[in-house]
Amino acid sequence: MIIVKDLSVERQDKKIFENINLSLVPGNIAILKGKNGSGKTTLLKALLNIIEPSVGSIYWKGKLLKKNLYDFYNHVTFIADTTSSLKKLTIKDNINIWKRFFMSNINNTQIETALKTLKLDNYLDKKVGTLSFGEIKKLEFLRLIIENKKVWILDEPLSNLDDDTIELMKQTFEDHCAKEGSIIFSSHQNPGIYVSEEIHL
Amino acid sequence: MKFLNKIIYFFYREYKLNLSGIQDILTNIIFFFVSIFIFIFSIGPDKETISLIGVGIVWTLLLLSSTLSLRKFYQEDFENGNLLVMHLNGFSYGFIAILKTLSNMIFVQIPFLLSIPIACILLNISNEKLIYVFTSFTLGSLILSCLGSISSSMNLMNQRNYLLGSVIVMIFSVPIIIFSVGIINLEESFNSLVNILFGILLIVFAINPWASGLCLKLSLENN
Repeated sequence: MIIVKDLSVERQDKKIFENINLSLVPGNIAILKGKNGSGKTTLLKALLNIIEPSVGSIYWKGKLLKKNLYDFYNHVTFIADTTSSLKKLTIKDNINIWKRFFMSNINNTQIETALKTLKLDNYLDKKVGTLSFGEIKKLEFLRLIIENKKVWILDEPLSNLDDDTIELMKQTFEDHCAKEGSIIFSSHQNPGIYVSEEIHL
Repeated sequence: MKFLNKIIYFFYREYKLNLSGIQDILTNIIFFFVSIFIFIFSIGPDKETISLIGVGIVWTLLLLSSTLSLRKFYQEDFENGNLLVMHLNGFSYGFIAILKTLSNMIFVQIPFLLSIPIACILLNISNEKLIYVFTSFTLGSLILSCLGSISSSMNLMNQRNYLLGSVIVMIFSVPIIIFSVGIINLEESFNSLVNILFGILLIVFAINPWASGLCLKLSLENN
């Protein structure tokens, strides 16, 4: 469970945002909304302890995040607006590396099903660098499934996706919440799913 | 055990990446040999002169070639967010710096070490001196990897200006070149010079995770 109390971030004497409060329990979704440059990514980074907040505190499972960081990182997957898949390698290589590096307990059948659902199963031997941006983004979502962690923190997950994939993502979000997972994501568009917390920046 | 496995698969990832970009490593080695040929042609056919300054040439070219590979150190992983992914999966910034330095030693510096005997033949360096050349290059290349890690992590904070990184590597490499060339030319002081070089290696190896880790942290914060 994540609790954020009166969080403010300043960078180079400029206030990015202030007094943000958030409470996220398992099974819930929180959305950060705001225009470009409003500080959505900065807030996500503060939640991940990458950026030091100027005021306020973040709690994970009742303890200060800083004192419980290792446990938090064991439960969180972050997907940035960049793509972490390695462009020089094929989809298959990327999946193999992720599976091993993240010590994933997801089996090959589950990965094959996910690949089919994401319509990436025909490109397994293609280098990621040759895929379209939307396909690379879909591959990034596969990392969520491979890492198989409870908390998903996602930066603009729905941008640059076609309608079918957005629908698929919404379904994936709902399935994850049904399994007691929780999601925090940023978006400047209305996602059309039930969210328990909405923060405007 | 879980953490050890992650380290093993980090190196598996680096191996796959370097294998897919093997042309970069080959380009560096080709640059190294082409430059040797240019030196030989510019000096002329005098074997004695080539033999005398050969070690200095090889060292200068090793230095230039290693600055060519500086971009491979952190830039890609920084831009595609993999540094952050590694950090969120239990690797501290300092530890990432150590792993990336070791990876650079294995996948960038070792191919150079293997090509040194051929360079020695081309530059008329005697077989007796080969062991000294090899010792100095082994220690020297490890030091260059650590310096490369520090300077390329600093570059991430400096609007990705790669000229600055190369300048830093070159300035700090001067004492290493002095002692390394000394190892080969002053055979009687071999042990003391190796000890000095080993001491420098320990210092930069100790500073590297601290300095590079801090630079990585700051660059991710400000990205």
